Amino acid sequence: MISTFIRHELKAFWRSKNTGKSIAVRIVMIFLILYLFGCILLAGIGMDKILEIAFPNDDLVKSFCGIVLIYFLFDLFMRLQLQELPTLRVQPYLHLPIKRNTLVGYLAITAVFSMFNLWPFLLFLPFIFKIIAPDSGIIVALAFVVAIIGISVFNNYLALYLKRKSNLNGWIFLITAAVLILIVIADFWWHFYSLHNISYAFFGRLLTMPILAIIPALLGIVMYYFNFLYLKQNLYLETLTARKVKIYKSNTDIPFLSRFGTIGDLAANEIKLVFRNKRSRSSLIIGLFFMFYGLIFYTNKSLGQGWYLFAGMYMTGAFVVNYGQFMFGWQASHFDGILVSKINFSDFVKAKYLLFTTVSAISFVLTIPYVYFGWHVLLVHFVMCVWNIGVTTTIVLFFANRNFKRIDLSKSGTMNWEGVGASQLLLTLPLILTPYIIYTPFAVFKHPDIGLALLAVTGFIAILTRNYWIKQLEADYYSKRYRIAEGFRNK
Amino acid sequence: MIEIKNLKKIYGNVTVVDIPHLSIAKGESVGLVGNNGAGKTTLFRMILDLILPESGEITSNGEIVAGHEHWKAYTASYLDEGFLIEYLTPEEYLYFIGGLHQQSRAQVDETLTALGDFFNGEILNRGKYIRDLSKGNQCKVGVASCLLQNPQLLMLDEPFANIDPSTQFRLKNMLKDANKSKGVTTIVSSHDLNHITDVCDRILLMEKGVIIKDIATSSSTLSELEDYFGVGQTVGATPVVKIDEEENH
Repeated sequence: MISTFIRHELKAFWRSKNTGKSIAVRIVMIFLILYLFGCILLAGIGMDKILEIAFPNDDLVKSFCGIVLIYFLFDLFMRLQLQELPTLRVQPYLHLPIKRNTLVGYLAITAVFSMFNLWPFLLFLPFIFKIIAPDSGIIVALAFVVAIIGISVFNNYLALYLKRKSNLNGWIFLITAAVLILIVIADFWWHFYSLHNISYAFFGRLLTMPILAIIPALLGIVMYYFNFLYLKQNLYLETLTARKVKIYKSNTDIPFLSRFGTIGDLAANEIKLVFRNKRSRSSLIIGLFFMFYGLIFYTNKSLGQGWYLFAGMYMTGAFVVNYGQFMFGWQASHFDGILVSKINFSDFVKAKYLLFTTVSAISFVLTIPYVYFGWHVLLVHFVMCVWNIGVTTTIVLFFANRNFKRIDLSKSGTMNWEGVGASQLLLTLPLILTPYIIYTPFAVFKHPDIGLALLAVTGFIAILTRNYWIKQLEADYYSKRYRIAEGFRNK
Repeated sequence: MIEIKNLKKIYGNVTVVDIPHLSIAKGESVGLVGNNGAGKTTLFRMILDLILPESGEITSNGEIVAGHEHWKAYTASYLDEGFLIEYLTPEEYLYFIGGLHQQSRAQVDETLTALGDFFNGEILNRGKYIRDLSKGNQCKVGVASCLLQNPQLLMLDEPFANIDPSTQFRLKNMLKDANKSKGVTTIVSSHDLNHITDVCDRILLMEKGVIIKDIATSSSTLSELEDYFGVGQTVGATPVVKIDEEENH
């Protein structure tokens, strides 16, 4: 039975739209995953050097023992945020004559195959075999490995259990997060205790008494069994699915937009789209994270104004790029409805412009504190904001006419490759390069400010001639809309 | 109202719709029946300019549908949930549709109050997004949005499929009322032969993309259709229970 499940699972993976049809996407995907693991492995191999720099006064093994528990706290937090529940997949088997124990066992076991369970090994194994094994012998090293396996498994099932619980009651998640944050604050700010010492108290003792590794191993087994029992008692769709508790959804008005008539209504709908769906919400949150780009670029004195352009563009335009690259795929599920209703395309596009303009302007306002790094930084932000509103949005919409991939709004955004195609991979290049085409020649001849001024002028011209561009986009759209609509109908 | 000439739609090398000529006059109520894969939805989609036919043309009020948008002002349609914006509440969606037709919220509210029975208290002010409604209730929202638009042409694809019996009867009355007293041209498809012959004055029977029967509804239409669909069975006759010798040894 288990082998049938596994075969179905493999089919589900390879046949899912998420896996990405085109080879280019697959290659990039594999490359990114390998890169991520490579980075972690590198950190693992260089762990002794890192620890030496971080704790120059401490013994290497002592500081290592001190951080393990702290890592696992962080690990638990990450899992709560990102680890997916391996759940809905059992739905088609529930009504069939298959033993509950088989199903639950399968569910519980497959939960181990998560990327998160690889991380601690990539991170800690190199150090254990490089430093601990030669120092204290192979038995101690193995004890460390067993302990790390034990805590990983414990974390894995604890996170899944808490996630399942918080699907039923949203407060559970908040309380857990609050407790985790309190644990950290109580150490690093209030100094009630030291996690570092607690971690050392256990792992340090492991050096002399390897048998203690049995404690985390037992913890892992107990947690697994606990999870198994919980699943068995709650093998019902409501507990399994990642559906949130129903709260009353109220109607919302966005008064600022209502003055724009139909265009405003369309933009308001799109804002609701962004806030009411998981995937689009995460692209907005990523946009907010880009707001910290400046801290990387402006604190580094060796980076010149050329880099400021990049930072300014991303800070004021992250949402335009991140959200816009999947347009109109966001609306795929009701694109037929848009086509048959009394909306003409120029209104449809003007609504997108309105949305992008509003968000870019807000982003610019949010970046004003960067004036701390000099007024010139703010000027660059303003110029790039104008550029984004004028030029970037038009490029994004040009590519939107070439996007035939639908997006399932309900799925989350992390490691979700649905809707990613060649046009998304192509899109970022012109977006990043075009401002430099104008700017670089002047920068090379020591007149960067003229380049900057020219960028601003181009941006303003693009904004003033917007109606012309809308006409071009419209003509383009009419020749492609059947393909777009057909692509969106393909689930 | 609708004029179809030499319409052909081909997927791969299968012709899914092939209609040499079809004309639907203003004020007609047309019912479209046919088994799965007969081409009903494809025909609907072509009339709504959602897919492009391989050849032929469709005109609505004398204007070619493809590439024009005037028909959108007087055509209301609901084919499937893909016509609804799933992350809005029903109220937000209906206000939005009303807004597209220059209706104020008060006007929309007025129409919705009249639909109170049809909604049966399951649509408005329930605090749910459209995506959280059942298929039947989504269909109600779709139908309501159609009526809200005060259309001259109303197109519904299998509206009776997911709704409860009471709503089916209410919907039938609403369709009859729209057609008879407001002169709305209606094109409705359905697998329920009773309902469709009750609501529509003209029945088009499709098979493999071709309209094989075009009948004005009369008292004999229902049995005529039942004959067609009851492949090889005598309708009304009591089925003979055959005893399987092999099983009863």
